[in-house]
Amino acid sequence: MSTDLRATGRWTLLLIGVVVIAVPFIWMVGGSFRSEADLYANPASLLPTTWTLHGYQSVWNDLPFARMFLNSVIFAGITTALCVLFDSMFAYALARIPFRGSKLCFWLVIITLMVPFQVTLIPVFIQLFNFGWLNTYQGLIIPRATSAFGIFLLRQFFISIPKELDEAARIDGANHWQVYWRIILPTARPALATVAVLHFTNLWNDLLWPLTMTSSTEMLTLPAGLTLFAGQHVTDHAVLLAGATISLIPLAVAFALAQRYFVAGVATTGLK
Amino acid sequence: MPKSLTIAAALAASALALAGCAGPAPSQPSTTSSSSQEKVALTLWTGFTGGDRPAYDALVKAFNDSHPDIQVTMEVQPWDTIGQKLPAAWATGQGPDLATPNFDPNILSQYLKTNSLLPITATGTGEGQIDVEHLAPAAIKAFTQDGKLYAVPANVATLQLYYNKALFAAAGIAAPPTTVDEFRADAQKLTGNGVFGLSIADHETIQMWPILQWLDGSDIVDQNNCSLLSSPETVKSLSAWSKLVIDKFAPVGLSGAESDSLFSAGKAAMQLNGPWAAAGYTKAGIDLGVAAVPAGVNGSTTLASTVPMAISAKTKYPVQAQEFLAWWTGKTAQRQFALDSGFPPVRTDMADDAKLASNEVVAKFAAALPTARLYLPGVPSATKVDSDVYVTLIGQITRGEDVAKATAEATTKLNALTGCSK
Amino acid sequence: MQQVSVGPVSSRPGAGGTHHLPARRRAHRAWLRDRPAWLFAAPSLAIILVFIVWPIIQSFRYSLYDWTVGAAEQQWVGLGNYIALFHDELFWNALRITVIFAVSSVVLQLILGYASASALQAETWLAKAVRSIYFFPTIVALATIGMVWRFLLDPNIGLVAGITVAFGGHAVGWLQDPDPALPTVIFVNVWKNVGFTMVILLAGLKGIPAQLYEAARLDGASGFRLTRHVTLPSIRPTLLLAGIMLTINSMQVFDLVYVMTNGGPLNHTDTLVNVLYREGFQNFRQGYASAIAWVLFLIILAASALQLKLMRYDDVD
Repeated sequence: MSTDLRATGRWTLLLIGVVVIAVPFIWMVGGSFRSEADLYANPASLLPTTWTLHGYQSVWNDLPFARMFLNSVIFAGITTALCVLFDSMFAYALARIPFRGSKLCFWLVIITLMVPFQVTLIPVFIQLFNFGWLNTYQGLIIPRATSAFGIFLLRQFFISIPKELDEAARIDGANHWQVYWRIILPTARPALATVAVLHFTNLWNDLLWPLTMTSSTEMLTLPAGLTLFAGQHVTDHAVLLAGATISLIPLAVAFALAQRYFVAGVATTGLK
Repeated sequence: MPKSLTIAAALAASALALAGCAGPAPSQPSTTSSSSQEKVALTLWTGFTGGDRPAYDALVKAFNDSHPDIQVTMEVQPWDTIGQKLPAAWATGQGPDLATPNFDPNILSQYLKTNSLLPITATGTGEGQIDVEHLAPAAIKAFTQDGKLYAVPANVATLQLYYNKALFAAAGIAAPPTTVDEFRADAQKLTGNGVFGLSIADHETIQMWPILQWLDGSDIVDQNNCSLLSSPETVKSLSAWSKLVIDKFAPVGLSGAESDSLFSAGKAAMQLNGPWAAAGYTKAGIDLGVAAVPAGVNGSTTLASTVPMAISAKTKYPVQAQEFLAWWTGKTAQRQFALDSGFPPVRTDMADDAKLASNEVVAKFAAALPTARLYLPGVPSATKVDSDVYVTLIGQITRGEDVAKATAEATTKLNALTGCSK
Repeated sequence: MQQVSVGPVSSRPGAGGTHHLPARRRAHRAWLRDRPAWLFAAPSLAIILVFIVWPIIQSFRYSLYDWTVGAAEQQWVGLGNYIALFHDELFWNALRITVIFAVSSVVLQLILGYASASALQAETWLAKAVRSIYFFPTIVALATIGMVWRFLLDPNIGLVAGITVAFGGHAVGWLQDPDPALPTVIFVNVWKNVGFTMVILLAGLKGIPAQLYEAARLDGASGFRLTRHVTLPSIRPTLLLAGIMLTINSMQVFDLVYVMTNGGPLNHTDTLVNVLYREGFQNFRQGYASAIAWVLFLIILAASALQLKLMRYDDVD
């Protein structure tokens, strides 16, 4: 009897958690369809009382929306692909090849996590200017094509892959690249998926970087472009919320597709 | 060759290939000769996001249509972003030809320190010349240093009194207040039933509190940039206004956007705001009235705010850039802009322009220009004075801190920042 | 069978049959052995060195000057910025706020993350669905979350206020009043990251072999004692990892605070990176801002080292 009570208690708390997590999103999506007057007249209402599309229309009409969406896809997509490749290569070296300087590299990677981004913003800006890379795709992509977090996560995961798999391949004459490509990567698919989704999400949502490194509207990514609606004295909530909702959709899709990998806890087994 | 090396080489090659396929070329002016017969492309960075952007877009388009040999591309970005990139961009010669560095006119001193601004010399009444004599004097004064002009006003705005006619009628008040005492009294009368008499913001906003001070004849700094915050007039004025907040006739701790929202929601009866807000309030269904700011002990006054538009010292086309500024501040452009946006024109010689006079919003805001004052004009470290001293002071006194004590602290901080030697 | 090795092969430990060779040959052999590692590391390492390490060093350089971006000549101040920092009351305020923020966030996230991970360990459809919901905020942009919560908590037009007033209560200015502001921002931060913490701790929990529990149960342990003596020690590495990551993240908080309160009201939510941003980009004092950054960096370093020490963890493997 008491275990039932405890179970009910537990599920009640979990349910409260679900409500607390879900309500802001419901309100956000609902708010993107509400007129200003409705929002002010009925603050206690979660959903619109009258529905309007003007938020979405403004976003579509006032921004080169398709181009920005494309820029976001290019930036987030290519950078993620490069990131997964480079991170896993470095992680392989750290996990599988005992080389001098391995520990140093590892700590270097950890330490770079500790410096806030705003610090390196101006020096990197000047660097990109010197390379002639401002307002170009390569300037957006290359400096972000690796991630300390990804390297760390993948290294931990690779370490947990049994060495026997490597040995077997090694006996058949495989070199490092082949072991990496044919054994490690396929086995690590869940971890790679996790890293890919997390990177893609971070890059898609990144505001400061595209804003700073590009100057023409055609190069802006979607979140950066949406800031064009914000201002000190702006009161069109539907537009802001519509922009936020639109930005969220691709991520929600990616999340739905890949969530079984990390929410199930499988991918992160290397972290124990 | 070991596989690993092949892969590395392939990666390097693809990286180089990627480097080759750049996106749209960085927006730099073409390197052909700068004779005015050649087609010239200029870039302009502005921070005009938000509702009034279409008016600026239309202006730039009108210029491009009437000037086939000079084409201007305006890149709009948030003010923060311009603040982050422009100093480095202009210093390294990579930046735009023209820009509005910040909505705060005091920003020019920062760019002057790094010699990033081109002195404007094409002044006069001729074609393609900037008619300085007939531009808002407060703005021109703020943009001139050591006798040289470094920017023109991209816009000039004044704050006026917005009021909710329906709420006034409900409270039985026939007309908006015309004196500062009526102002305070009405704010109290209008409060009730979940409505504030006056909606006011104290941070992240165009400053409204200085107006309240000026109405009582007090001020923030004197002409030596020394603090007037602990003068008896200021203490009296700030005490009176902060009492309004503490007694809940006005809200506490709102940002500009939140203060606007409050008025939009019909939950405040009055607000001091600029012309940009009118359209939004009407759309929100407010029965809107616009009146002059109530007269203070020294007569009418209000806050003027102006956005400077300056030219990069390293631009390749100084002649064309100044031509653009001349057109922007000319009568045709200003008439179009005022009608589109509700802002008053930056020129002082258009008071009798028929079209403008018939536009209520423009007329009201323009009428206040002659007596409008800038906030902290020419004060050293003005940004820090605003964020560290003034905003903090208002935040403290509106939450019940002793006014005399708070203003004394503020005075010390302010004088340290501006280098006042008293 | 002939062992055909194409290219350098990972050496077995103890394959140091090179002791008899002269030093230069030994070094060359070692380099040949290490070369594949460097090739694998090359792209990543190059980017890190060029676009992260070098700028970090540059920013340290800036901190020794009264640095103005674009000035023809910079003014050397040596440790002047650091000394000024020491006397700056806004800096100490921000330090205090940041530490409170980080400690509260990390502790709450670990507790709530652990609780939800432990409660949702089952692989039932329901548990998986709830886990997904909890994880969702992780993928949403911080600016969006800050903006939505700011609207939700607005005392005049927000949902929370609307409901409170409907129930006859008083609307609270969660972000407008100095006292509730910091707890509110901490709440939103925890709200955003609880799912992420949960996922990491879940992985740790799933890695505990069932035998450990059985053995402990045989010894008569149950419930809380089980947790204390079996679960927690087993997931110590995971807790440490989560703790360090969350600490680094929390101490660098900027976007959330910037969007929700911009450090206010009255500097009650002014974090170190917020001060850094303001000094660097609004007050144009890049040198001073860089000094703040370096002090923050040292603090994070110290905090991480402390956590490693506390967990008695010498090897991150």
